[in-house]
Amino acid sequence: MGEYLLEMNHITKVFPGVKALDDVTLKVRPGTVHALMGENGAGKSTLMKCLFGIYHEDGGEIILDGKKENINSSKQALDLGVSMIHQELHPIRFRPVMENIWLGRFPMKGIAVDKKAMIQMTKDLFQEVGLDVDPEVLAGELSASTLQLVEIARAVSYNSKIIIMDEPTSSLTDNETEHLFKIINKLRAEGRSIIYISHKMEEILRIADEVTIMRDGQYVGTWPASELTTDLIINRMVGRDMTNRFPPKNYTPSDEVVLQVENLCSPLSKSFQNVSFELHKGEILGIGGLVGAQRTELVEALFGLREIQSGLVTKDGGRFVAKSARDAKRNGLALLTEERRATGIFGILSVLDNTVIASQKNYASHGVLHQKQRVDAAQDSCRKLNVKTPSLEALMQNLSGGNQQKVLIARWLLTQPDILILDEPTRGIDVGAKYEIYTIMHDLIAQGKSIIMISSEMPELLGMADRVMVMCEGRVSGFLERDQFDQVEVMRLATQFAS
Amino acid sequence: MNERTIPQKKFALVFIVIGAVLLAVGGGIFLMGFADPAPAFVATVSKKVFDLPVLAALIGAGVLGFGLNRYLGKKFQDRPVDLSRKAIVTYLTNNAIIIALLALVVVICFIEPRFMQVRVVLDILTQSSTRLIIALGICFTLLIAGTDLSAGRMVGLAAVISTSMLQNLDYGNRFFPDMPLVPIILPILLAIAACMLFGALNGFLVAKYDMHPFIATLAVQVIIYGACSLYFDLPPNKSQPIGGVREDFAWLGQYKFFVIENEAGKVVFPGFSILIPIALIVTAIIWFILNKTVFGKNVYAIGGNREAAVVSGVNVFKTIMGIFVLASLLYGFAGVLEAARTAGATNQYGNGYELDAIAACVVGGVSLNGGVGKVSGIISGVLIFTVIQYGLQFINVSPMWQQVIKGIIIAVAVAIDLSKYRKK
Amino acid sequence: MKKLSLIMAVLMLAVAVAGCGGSSSSAPASSTPASSEAASGETASSEAASSEAASSEAATAELNGDGILVGSCIYKFDDTFMTGVRTNMQAEADALGATLEIVDSQNKQPTQNDQVDTYITKGVNALAVNPVDRTAAGPLADKAKAEGLPIVFLNREPEADVMQSYDQVWYVGAKAEESGTMSGQIIADYFTANPDADKNGDGKIQYIMLQGEQGHQDAVLRTEYSVKAMEEAGFGVEALGSDNADWDKVKATDKMKGFIASAGIENIEAVLANNDDMALGALEALKAEGYNTGDPTKYIPVVGVDATAPALESMSKGELLGTVLNDAENQGKATVRIAVAAASGVGVTTETIGYEVTDGKYVWIPYVKVTADNYQDFM
Repeated sequence: MGEYLLEMNHITKVFPGVKALDDVTLKVRPGTVHALMGENGAGKSTLMKCLFGIYHEDGGEIILDGKKENINSSKQALDLGVSMIHQELHPIRFRPVMENIWLGRFPMKGIAVDKKAMIQMTKDLFQEVGLDVDPEVLAGELSASTLQLVEIARAVSYNSKIIIMDEPTSSLTDNETEHLFKIINKLRAEGRSIIYISHKMEEILRIADEVTIMRDGQYVGTWPASELTTDLIINRMVGRDMTNRFPPKNYTPSDEVVLQVENLCSPLSKSFQNVSFELHKGEILGIGGLVGAQRTELVEALFGLREIQSGLVTKDGGRFVAKSARDAKRNGLALLTEERRATGIFGILSVLDNTVIASQKNYASHGVLHQKQRVDAAQDSCRKLNVKTPSLEALMQNLSGGNQQKVLIARWLLTQPDILILDEPTRGIDVGAKYEIYTIMHDLIAQGKSIIMISSEMPELLGMADRVMVMCEGRVSGFLERDQFDQVEVMRLATQFAS
Repeated sequence: MNERTIPQKKFALVFIVIGAVLLAVGGGIFLMGFADPAPAFVATVSKKVFDLPVLAALIGAGVLGFGLNRYLGKKFQDRPVDLSRKAIVTYLTNNAIIIALLALVVVICFIEPRFMQVRVVLDILTQSSTRLIIALGICFTLLIAGTDLSAGRMVGLAAVISTSMLQNLDYGNRFFPDMPLVPIILPILLAIAACMLFGALNGFLVAKYDMHPFIATLAVQVIIYGACSLYFDLPPNKSQPIGGVREDFAWLGQYKFFVIENEAGKVVFPGFSILIPIALIVTAIIWFILNKTVFGKNVYAIGGNREAAVVSGVNVFKTIMGIFVLASLLYGFAGVLEAARTAGATNQYGNGYELDAIAACVVGGVSLNGGVGKVSGIISGVLIFTVIQYGLQFINVSPMWQQVIKGIIIAVAVAIDLSKYRKK
Repeated sequence: MKKLSLIMAVLMLAVAVAGCGGSSSSAPASSTPASSEAASGETASSEAASSEAASSEAATAELNGDGILVGSCIYKFDDTFMTGVRTNMQAEADALGATLEIVDSQNKQPTQNDQVDTYITKGVNALAVNPVDRTAAGPLADKAKAEGLPIVFLNREPEADVMQSYDQVWYVGAKAEESGTMSGQIIADYFTANPDADKNGDGKIQYIMLQGEQGHQDAVLRTEYSVKAMEEAGFGVEALGSDNADWDKVKATDKMKGFIASAGIENIEAVLANNDDMALGALEALKAEGYNTGDPTKYIPVVGVDATAPALESMSKGELLGTVLNDAENQGKATVRIAVAAASGVGVTTETIGYEVTDGKYVWIPYVKVTADNYQDFM
């Protein structure tokens, strides 16, 4: 065996329109905990998915135990001794824990599953990781944190040389985190390596031996954990300059308040709580935070898609609570959702249908549509936003991500909104199209509209917003005016309540 | 990969020539039949190939129309026609089931030349009429990735209710012995309204409780059958088949236009069944609703991406209610027509129609995943099944084999359809 | 390439369809084992057939079916009795040299109407229709009338005005009440011969009645007339239980089990079923209690109607007391003979077809009592 158990050299991965990984290198020594760090969208998960066979890298090489491997499936990765604990768990809720663990490799007795052996194997495994759970209890009955530990036990059960842990402590309490660390120490002592992805600085500094930092899909560097401090990590994670990636700002927001939110609470205790903010006319209010900060949930509640427990929303001086998207639409709100594919586009319908769907009633009398009015409206709106499509009859799914996004903006502009809520407006869009969307946003501001923009990309947030609200764990952790904009400060606020 | 294209005009010209030749030859022979005395060979032709000249003339007219449209239409002017191998294969795949159907028709014509009659075409159109109306109803529920298992039973319900009130006064076993003659429209509307009530129940269960349409309509189907049987079992009828329906009601399902008889009273031309224009009108209305109204667009939107439709502010509740009510209206109407053309009804009417209708829709390219489906596809789907049933009986294929073949057609059609999408 | 193979598959399918069209046209029905069994049974039973049948054989020479195409619709193929009828229709058509085509109306009246249209367009010389709904025969007769085609209805009797609406309409069938009368008589005969069968000695027959579908004409008549026959034979009757088992064996077993539980098996003196399937179903329930398995002290007389092969088999084991033969052979024969006679223009008379023609339109085929004495003739 060489110096390294795993070498990922010059890995490149391109998604349509986006270079997700650009010449990234990761080298893990045997018997170490190797932390992988970076902002949201820095490419950590993509890199790990290449290793685990979910994606296949477009360039570069993966060397495991000194041998070059071509990993094409998760099963192959497991056979090679690589296992992964995913950020989001998908247990089979109505089956026992043990079946979840041994799925795909049940102990057999003839043609029947050997239940006894499975129970024993599970007990042994749980003992090894110090977990006290009945193997036959249904997975759905376990708490999220116990499930997380079960998931870790499962990874251990593969007897892997490398275990990838993607945000393993996100649902764990302090005690459980301690427990996890014990397990990790034990695994490390057995000579296994752990790739540990987390945003929590203290954890990293405590448990990791080495830290690799990524930024914008690129490799920044690898350092021994002992040489690092929280500030150093943050600086290296965000350290970049921002020049000309955003159109110049040539407006000033007014003081007039168009939307006031006071003490908005979700009925779910884990979701947003006590959120208050104001939106001014002609302003872009950015909402920053880490994944899981409940930003999407907040704007969806404002738009009537989620329940609100308590709180007050005032628009144009009148109180209003949207009970449905139709309600919100009538009150001059528009929402561009985060998941463009899942909740935005109608892939199998035409660009025309996609553009006018939210404003159909304007082109109909007694329910009968005027084709010419529809076409005119769609054409006008799409031309203004410079949508590139072969024709209005083209299917939406054949457009590029950027053009799809522009069609969605066109759709909402046809409803004449005062306030646009844009949730990750440039996710999965190439750089050129991003700039166009930024220009569109400025044009909208110039027309007297106001924008709320959620962004997990730090440069976008700071480059586009006039004011930033940072959320952490469902609460507002602070506001920053434009002159106070600072990446490190945003990062600090975003992790403020994290352990 | 050989890129071969020909200009649109040239492409169209081929069709114009073929169409014109067919029209001229077919029409010529047909017209010669009226000459006095008719040339001798006309009699031979009509003995050997029956109405083939007329059919050829009709096909020729269709091809000619297609060619002229391509030739003169502005829309196609500057688009050359791709005749590369790939384009042709794609075209054949997209229309594989139609091509198979044409092949089948040709084979049937060889086995049984009597199949080449105008009457055959009219029979097939007539027999497709009520099925088409039901399929058009069920397609709405398929378009939102749902289904409607209650369709068949609604047909039965409407048939029973309408006939029960439309019996002759002097009929022995009247359902309502003391009922006077009522305007024919009343029982029909009542029957359809009853179906719409159950349709509303379907819609309510689906829209309000987010129940899967499979379950909701299954439950309602059972309820309808039970309710219909209760009604059917009312004294004095006691579950006897309802007969003795009024002439004016039977007219609605049995009347034929343009029947021509010769001096001996023998039927020369069997006439167009009234069901054909009725189905055409319903089809036109449904096409309009699907393509030209807010409601229709919302149906496609909900089927295409329900979440996105919610976010876009589409009134999903109202649309789903509308879908099931409209569908049940069509089933009800079809049920009335079924009763009229058979001049009777039992509570067994319509049993299993929903599966035939779903099969026709699916073969016609309606996706069970929702959002995809066109009226023209549904028409061809229904026609395919009618032609198969009709044609196979015509050449005396055993009924058991007919079932096997029907099943294979469904599986193959859907396999082709899915392989079309998988590529993308 | 995958697509191309799919297209090929479709084309091959079309050719295959055509293939079976050509080959199966001669004998669509005789390919099933059930029907061939029935056909062989039929040759044996012809010896025991009634006088009409004998005369029909004599008349065969006069009818010539050459070049005659008869189109027939059967209300549904998976009906045991109608399978017997259509097998005999096919056999008779072959004997006469006529071509017979039979289709399955799948228990759907609208489908049957379509099928009749298809036959007419195809140019059949006569129609033989077993209607799905007896009230829906009117439009079928109208269709035939418009084309001047003879039409024979069988087994389900159209209403009188339909029969009178056109001179080329005939009906072949049995009188349902007769089957009821005969099954009642079988029970009454048994009680006369075995006074011990009246277990409680009260002079009344305590019976269970298993009926066909609710409101079905045959079910109503058979029930009514079987009771009447027992009464006419001088017995008092008392119904311990009576319910619809929808002609179905499994349902009958369940219902019978229910009656055994509610009435007590020792109190049941007779079981009457509207058809054999239900009688056999009831027997299953009795056998589960140890009855009708050979022990003479544990025997309850059970009668059915139809004389199906399984019923006869059961009689040979001494389980089933008796049944009534709805004469599938003669119904099938008579139907085809009328159709051929009418189509060939010789006229439908008692002489030409070999069956008595009532009112110039009806041919009634009598039922036959099947008991331990004669069941072997029908096996």
